[in-house]
Amino acid sequence: MSADVLAFWFLAIVLVGSALAVVLTKNLFHAVLWLALALTGTAGVFLLLDAEFLAAVQLLLYAGGIVTIVVFAIVVTERLVGERLSQTSRRIGGGAVVAGGVLALLLNAMRGQPFPAARPEMAGDLTRLIGETVLTRFVLPFELLAVLMLAALMGAIYFARPDE
Amino acid sequence: MEWLTPLVAPFIVLNAIIGIVTYVTLLERKFAARMQSRVGPYRVGPHGLLQPIADAIKLMMKEDVVPTAVDRPVYNLAPIVFLVPCMLIFATIPFAPGLGVADLNIGILFFLAVSAMEIVGLFMAGWGSNNKYALLSAMRAVNQVISYDLPFIFSALVPVLLAGSLRLSDIAAAQAGLWFVFYPVVGQLAFIAFIVSTVAAENRAPFDILEAESELVAGFRVEYSGMKFAIIQLAEYAHVVGASFLGALLFLGAWAGPGPEWLGPGWFLLKAMFVFLLVTWVRWSFVRIRVDQILALSWKVLLPATLVLLIAAAIVVVWRGTPGV
Amino acid sequence: MGLQAYLTLAAVVFCIGLFGVMTRRNTIGILLGIELMLNSVNINLVAFARYSGDVTGMVFTLFTICITVAEAAVGLALVILLFRVRRTVTADHLDLLKG
Repeated sequence: MSADVLAFWFLAIVLVGSALAVVLTKNLFHAVLWLALALTGTAGVFLLLDAEFLAAVQLLLYAGGIVTIVVFAIVVTERLVGERLSQTSRRIGGGAVVAGGVLALLLNAMRGQPFPAARPEMAGDLTRLIGETVLTRFVLPFELLAVLMLAALMGAIYFARPDE
Repeated sequence: MEWLTPLVAPFIVLNAIIGIVTYVTLLERKFAARMQSRVGPYRVGPHGLLQPIADAIKLMMKEDVVPTAVDRPVYNLAPIVFLVPCMLIFATIPFAPGLGVADLNIGILFFLAVSAMEIVGLFMAGWGSNNKYALLSAMRAVNQVISYDLPFIFSALVPVLLAGSLRLSDIAAAQAGLWFVFYPVVGQLAFIAFIVSTVAAENRAPFDILEAESELVAGFRVEYSGMKFAIIQLAEYAHVVGASFLGALLFLGAWAGPGPEWLGPGWFLLKAMFVFLLVTWVRWSFVRIRVDQILALSWKVLLPATLVLLIAAAIVVVWRGTPGV
Repeated sequence: MGLQAYLTLAAVVFCIGLFGVMTRRNTIGILLGIELMLNSVNINLVAFARYSGDVTGMVFTLFTICITVAEAAVGLALVILLFRVRRTVTADHLDLLKG
């Protein structure tokens, strides 16, 4: 078994295991920590796919950003009112059936498709390629994204500001 | 034994870093003592030179007290989760041309991304301790980290723009002619912004409201003792040292200096210690400021200023035609 | 490892996230599930980009990561607002529109 295959299986186990923990664990704070592990695992998968830049962005924005915001939300909504921090699930059976059905559907659609098994050589530095593509072919979506981020920022501040 | 080769460099760097970090504590204590007209550690070994080792042994021998109400898995894992990113940041730093663990082509981004992970460990410690002081401290840490990560990143991106590369060894090589700290106007301002946001990101005085001995006891580490406490301390100092190395690399020309080439790592270490002492000097010279002042400084001054600086650096690069000095 | 392995992994994570969204009672828990789903989509995008030799998918991933962060920020601001108004973040209790 080559190092690549080994790394893939390791990351796959970490990713699926932590994802299951996110949706099954009772303690909401633990769920967030498992999510952080899942997101870090995804960054590892990106590394396996030669996308170092995306792996770094993933860590920076997700693990550093989202996890922080979520923890903040938990503290503000649960911990400070002194409630016991546990959460329950409902309709587990139904949920499992639907999720399993979707999974079966996806895997069935994938079966027998002619997927490439080998990767084509990518010319040059992928990070540079991503940067150049963003600022030439996708410059308009990029600018729109900036507007969206600004709108989201203002929206979040508007919603969460204290009442006067 | 072929498979051992890739492990040699990380092993050497890891141990060297732990050694440096241990002795940096002595450096800081001596420096602080001088600033306050004291002598500092003097008893253990000549001029207190064995003090860090004595401290380490003492901390290892201490009883590990675990309060009953803690969230055990989180509480026990937190120091490790805190330590790992603080050690990983050294992975991309080249200590001399071609001498480092991994000279990634996204070097600086890796550094920033990994040091952003540190907050997860900090929050685990604060939450897992199940103590209101620890939790308050962790909340303040989140506030501060969100606020100061952006100026930190923006000021670190100025040398990236000037050098035209994310790879740390390229940034160092680009300063062969002129260190970026001497780059007219842009360089000095970026260096000041970098130092201020480093001090804040390290949670050191005057930005140390999250440990604030007088109100929060010791912040997120109040329930830790013995080895776990030692690991948290080690991680914090490692982070400071890592940021000092980054500062020396981004602004002070890394291994450039007079003398033969093999002196390079020595110069680099010297410059990193200079940045470290700068940060220490700030720590022991200014009083702690309030939460709202800290947030205002970041969002109203540092963030707009670094953004303008970044744009200015971009304009300079475009005007000169090519990146690099 | 072929493309199929990555797609299967992403599909499994997606369905786990879906399960979380459907079964969680806590609004924050639901948001965690959504994050997992978006995350698995990113794996798909990067895998397709790498195996087709076209960088477009990676650029798209960059965009989705940014949008996800914006979504999380607004979503959690809503949760905080909700908590302030109704003192609860349990999705089952938020049934004002029920006839």
